[in-house]
Amino acid sequence: MISLESSIIRLKDVSKKYSTDNTDNVVFSGIDLEIEKGEFVFLTGPSGAGKSTILRILFCAERPTSGEVWVDGVILSSLSKAQVPYLRRKIGVIFQDFKLLSNRTIFDNVALSLEVIGLGKKQAEQRVMQVLDGVGLAGKTSHYPLQLSGGEQQRVAIARAVVNRPSIILADEPTGNLDLQRTEEVIMLMEELNARGATIIFATHDDRLFKNTHRRVIKLCNGRIRI
Amino acid sequence: MSLAILCRRAFSDLRQNFCAQLITTMVVSLSILIFAFFTLLYFNLQHFVDRFGAELGLVVFLSEDTPKDRIPSLYQKLTGLSEVEKVTYISSEEAFGRLKNFLKDEKEVLEGVDPRFLPPSFEIQVNRAMFQLKRIKQLAGEINKWPEVSKVQFGQEWIDRLYVFSGLLRTIVAITGLLLLFSAAFVVTNTIKLTVYARQEELKIIRLVGATNFFIQGPFLVEAFWQGLLGSSLALGVVFACYRFFQGIEAKSELLRGVNICFIPWQYTVAIIASSVLLCVLGTALAMRRSLRL
Repeated sequence: MISLESSIIRLKDVSKKYSTDNTDNVVFSGIDLEIEKGEFVFLTGPSGAGKSTILRILFCAERPTSGEVWVDGVILSSLSKAQVPYLRRKIGVIFQDFKLLSNRTIFDNVALSLEVIGLGKKQAEQRVMQVLDGVGLAGKTSHYPLQLSGGEQQRVAIARAVVNRPSIILADEPTGNLDLQRTEEVIMLMEELNARGATIIFATHDDRLFKNTHRRVIKLCNGRIRI
Repeated sequence: MSLAILCRRAFSDLRQNFCAQLITTMVVSLSILIFAFFTLLYFNLQHFVDRFGAELGLVVFLSEDTPKDRIPSLYQKLTGLSEVEKVTYISSEEAFGRLKNFLKDEKEVLEGVDPRFLPPSFEIQVNRAMFQLKRIKQLAGEINKWPEVSKVQFGQEWIDRLYVFSGLLRTIVAITGLLLLFSAAFVVTNTIKLTVYARQEELKIIRLVGATNFFIQGPFLVEAFWQGLLGSSLALGVVFACYRFFQGIEAKSELLRGVNICFIPWQYTVAIIASSVLLCVLGTALAMRRSLRL
């Protein structure tokens, strides 16, 4: 049982549906979920179960149809549009399709998160090099994303997500495009970040990733949670 | 976000989207160029009208029964007026002599005519610095009420026509300016919209890492500022070069000597540049409104 005080993410009776013309497509309904600070959870379920939607709600890219969501003590429904960027700075997001800027170098892609928070050039340089070194890409700072392999691109995306030291990391199918070896590398990186105190929600439909894990696995099925 | 980061990002964007930026700047420049040419034309016509009006002066005809001893006091009264620069007294005899000279070979028609049949008059040269058609009309009306004065004459019809023409030109300049400003605003807004559309994915990513609206919009506004400044400065530079070219022609040509072509007053030049900058910045802010919604 997780106490309310230690939970960094909390969803209470959250529903999401998309309305088109005369039909309502219910993604999930009445979801209750709590994630403790420093926890590493897997969010799983078949394609279309709503894993990405939950993550998108958590970083305010979407709003739930009903229910309340708390992230790091903040009720998302009470956030104004102007406050959203400040919440996003506390969350690092890793996407399956990397979402890197193809016209910027690896260094600039990672530095973007620090540029946004207005960190000084020297400090930012130091931090970016440290993080890129951590993901094994220190020698490729001046490369462009398309000059890297899929695994390397994903590591850049991870570097960008963690460079400003967020307390929460949301990974949306981060290994979906990677082979087994690269997948293991990414999982290890995540474990490392979690060991440093970050709360991680790892969304994946690949049950091999959590088969032998001691981590909590949250299963989304038919619009409901099954733990 | 510090100004240094803002400018660095704007400069980097400028390099990456150089073509689109260049097209926008050229459109702004062309619009301002056409407007500035009309403005230059207007100011030169206005300048010409003012000079022409001041050179025409006033002629004050006195009644035939005006006693000669009143002339000095009238002269004093006229020279005391602030709008008057120079007063010349023309006696009846002097006027007769001028008429004779004017008629040249046909001066015999004046044989037997009393040399004092023409009324004495004062020729008034108006102070150029104070020249205003309205004031001259007022002055003529006031002098006309003096008991010794029979008539006050000045090239009112000519000046009136020129003023109507310059007023028409002013309206044309204003309408053209407004239309050009609207068309430039339209093009700038749409070019920015296209740029924003082309960079939608990039902006989405920047937003996801926690960028505020100002962080996203800032570089676009800095770019717009430079587009407005460069576009208008370039246009005014071309107009100034043309002005200098015409000045050269004027100096060499006997016919044009004394026309005294003038450039757009500096206050208007500054206003044109400021309007151009404002137009580009507002156009950009307007174009980005939709893309800044969450």
